[in-house]
Amino acid sequence: MKKVNKEILKEAANKMLFDMSEEQYATLLKEFDVILKQMDLISQIEGVDDVEPMTFPYPVYTTYLREDVVKETLTQEEALKNAKDVSHGMIKLPKVVK
Amino acid sequence: MSYLDQSIFEIHQAIINGLVTPLELVQEALKLAKEDNNNAFEYICEKEAIEQVKNLDLSKKDNLLWGIPYALKDNLSTKDIPTCASSKILEGYVPVYSAEVYQRLQEQGAILIGKTTLDELSMGGSGTTGHLGKTYNPWDPKHKHQIGGSSCGSAAVCSAGIVPFALGSDTGDSVRKPASYSCLVGLKPTWGRISRYGLFPFAPSMDHIGFFTRNCMDSALILSVLAGHDEKDSTSSTVPVDNYLDIEKTDISKMRIAVIDEIFDSVQDKTIKDAFIKTLNILSDLGLEINHVHMDDKLCRAIYPTYFVISCAEANSNNANQDGIKFGTRYEAEDYEKVMFEARTNGFSEPIKRRFVLGSYALLKENQEDLFLRAQKCRRLIVNCINEILKDNDAIYLPTSPTIAPLFDGNKDKLSNEYLIADNYLAFANMGGQPSINIPIGFKDGLPFGGCFTGRIFEEKTILSLALFLEKHMDFANKIAKKENE
Repeated sequence: MKKVNKEILKEAANKMLFDMSEEQYATLLKEFDVILKQMDLISQIEGVDDVEPMTFPYPVYTTYLREDVVKETLTQEEALKNAKDVSHGMIKLPKVVK
Repeated sequence: MSYLDQSIFEIHQAIINGLVTPLELVQEALKLAKEDNNNAFEYICEKEAIEQVKNLDLSKKDNLLWGIPYALKDNLSTKDIPTCASSKILEGYVPVYSAEVYQRLQEQGAILIGKTTLDELSMGGSGTTGHLGKTYNPWDPKHKHQIGGSSCGSAAVCSAGIVPFALGSDTGDSVRKPASYSCLVGLKPTWGRISRYGLFPFAPSMDHIGFFTRNCMDSALILSVLAGHDEKDSTSSTVPVDNYLDIEKTDISKMRIAVIDEIFDSVQDKTIKDAFIKTLNILSDLGLEINHVHMDDKLCRAIYPTYFVISCAEANSNNANQDGIKFGTRYEAEDYEKVMFEARTNGFSEPIKRRFVLGSYALLKENQEDLFLRAQKCRRLIVNCINEILKDNDAIYLPTSPTIAPLFDGNKDKLSNEYLIADNYLAFANMGGQPSINIPIGFKDGLPFGGCFTGRIFEEKTILSLALFLEKHMDFANKIAKKENE
């Protein structure tokens, strides 16, 4: 397991596309002392690695298909309604190719 | 006298008998909402509610929810009504479609009067992390105690008598715990029983929609309206829906109830333990079999970290769409990645970022096996254990929380059994999807606390029947905070 330090936490945050202040990283690093002790409780469970990971509360089988009928979908106007910068029916972003 | 203080059934009867009109009810609810001093509302739907009530379909008057005001947690999409999940990053967002639960309630003629506050993006259990700040507990006029979270606003408006019911969501305990802290019935049905279409996801493998009422029959009523398959949510179940409205007829006398000793023993508060034992005695006096069962102590202590790792990791994926581009607050920068980076850096609060960092850390290639996958494996062991107990018992019954509502500035030892087990065990029903309900069972220092029944999947009727039986033997139904405080 990767050892925790400020750089690792910053890497984890930046991978999620955000940053934190130096003080916030310092606070989080202290919190990780407790968090890692809590995580270690999972490792102490006998036989924990002998079972398959569980991803849903119980097996879910979606066996139906929707009828092939035309339904209402969002209009272009609705799809763009919440974007702050729209031009010619598209969301405008800074130039990618300069 | 306020009709809003009464049960839904009583309010309905008052409407049918012409004693009050839906317009009068809605106007009163809106007035109370504007006077709310618990910071419980994100948005008060005054214009929308008045318009809806004036256009109510008279032919639907016999529907029990016709003309009844209610509130929704602000992580449920409401077309053309602002919805921001109490997060700065979503300020100004107006959904272009509606959650299935909202549509079902609208079809019944229920009137939405407001969207309620939550811990930001449903991640939290204190009711303090939303962008509007702390939400207060109506049972504590001095505003020193929390109401819990994340469905803090919905619990506050229901217990304050503004509306007779309010919807929330529950990923770890976010309906049941605030219900315990505010003298409410809080039900989280089976995972898949209610469509989650239009719910802002936090950790979808554990997210449930739930609701607050002031008595068990009202809870059964709301479930009967919301339960059922919805093709828009592929995880919503096709298992037939029971008739929840006849729970009074259920014979519970032969039922078997399990008390998990390791969880009960981690509760330290004598008042809560005594009140809980008193309710056990009520059940055993009727003839129910009370079985003291065991769960490995280490497994009990692993419930919270298992929940925390899985939920934080899932939350990362589910909030990847918060980019400040398609919706939400936009920040200008020189390229599109920096636009997203600025939006997320400025839009998420510190507590949310901490959870994201933990989730990201658990998902790092080097850590996945040791943290994320191991948590998912531990989840299986926990769920297997609970299901094994439920094979021989109709329900598990325990104190909902080890304390009354905590102080805002209180500290907890996060490695103690009280914290790891008694304060966080409720998440086992999110991992396994079992239905789970809080009912009020006592008061200490003027603040309420509850007991929690958890049943087998899709057996909501069992836990509702048990809760209703206890409710009838106690005096905690339909209590309104403001009245008790006067």
